[in-house]
Amino acid sequence: MSLGTRSYIKGVKVSERHGAGEWMQERLSSLILIPLTLWGLWSGWVLSGAGYDDAMEWFRSPVNATLLAVTLLVSLWHMNMGAKVIVDDYIHKPVSRNTLVGLIGLVCVLLAAAGVFFIVRLALGSAPLPAGLGA
Amino acid sequence: MSISPLPGDASNDPTEDQTGRFVRQPNGRVRPLSPHLQVWRFHLTMAGSILNRIAAGALSFGTLFVVAWLGSAAFGSDAYARFASIMGSPLGLLVWFGLSLAGAYHLTAGIRHMIWDAGSGLTPKTATNLTIVSMVAAVVIVAVFWAALFMTGRVVL
Repeated sequence: MSLGTRSYIKGVKVSERHGAGEWMQERLSSLILIPLTLWGLWSGWVLSGAGYDDAMEWFRSPVNATLLAVTLLVSLWHMNMGAKVIVDDYIHKPVSRNTLVGLIGLVCVLLAAAGVFFIVRLALGSAPLPAGLGA
Repeated sequence: MSISPLPGDASNDPTEDQTGRFVRQPNGRVRPLSPHLQVWRFHLTMAGSILNRIAAGALSFGTLFVVAWLGSAAFGSDAYARFASIMGSPLGLLVWFGLSLAGAYHLTAGIRHMIWDAGSGLTPKTATNLTIVSMVAAVVIVAVFWAALFMTGRVVL
C-alpha cells in the first residue's frame, strides 16, 4: 500500500504499514502467556527445593518439556516485541536504533536456540553435557 | 486526518516547537515524542504503566536465569547442585523473589491492558481502580507463593 493511501473502517484509520500486525502479535502472545505464566508459577512451586533427580524426572514428562519449550519461545517472542517498542520509544537515531533492535533479536534467538537444545536433551534423558566433547 | 494543534500555541505547534517534543516519523508526519519519565505528573495509571515496563525489563533478564537453569540441568548433577546452591543463597532467593514479583505484576497488569484493549475500563476512575487491583493482586500472589514456599520448607534461608 502506498503511503498516500488512507482507508478507514468505521471511521478509524487502517494501519498503513505493519503497526496493526505488530499490535495483534503483541496481544496474541500476551493471551497465550496468561495460562503459561500460571503454569510456570506452579512449576516453580514443584521444582523449588527439589533435587537433581526430581528435576530430571520432571523434564522427562513430555507435557512438562513441551509446555516449557512453548513458554520459553512465546516469552522470547513477546520479549523481543516489547524490547523493540521500548527502543523505538526512546532511541531516535536510526543507526543506534536499528543496531540495538538487531542485537536484541540476536540475543532472543540465541536464548531460544540454547533453551530448546537443553530442553530436548533433558526430555530425551540424554547423557549430561559435554557428552562426547572430551569428557 | 491529523489533529492540528491550537493555532498560535507555540508549545503545541510542531512547526514552531523547539523543545524536541516532536519527531518526524519515517512516513514524513510530525508526531509527538513518546513521553519520558520526567515529563509526567504523577498519577496511578502512569506509575502502573512505568512499573509494568520495569517488570518487563526485569523479566527479560529473568530469561537469562531460566536458560542458565536449563543449562545447569543439562550439564549434570554437579552443575545443577552448584546452580541450586547459588540460587538458594539469600542473594539468589532475592533475585527469584524479584523475578516472581515482576512476573506476577506483568501478568496482572497485562490482563488489565487486555481489558483496556477490548475497549472497557477506560474512564479515569475505572482505569485507576483496575491499576490498584492489578498491583494488589500481584503482591498477594507473590506473598502467598513465598509464604507457602517457606512454610512447607521447600525454600529455607
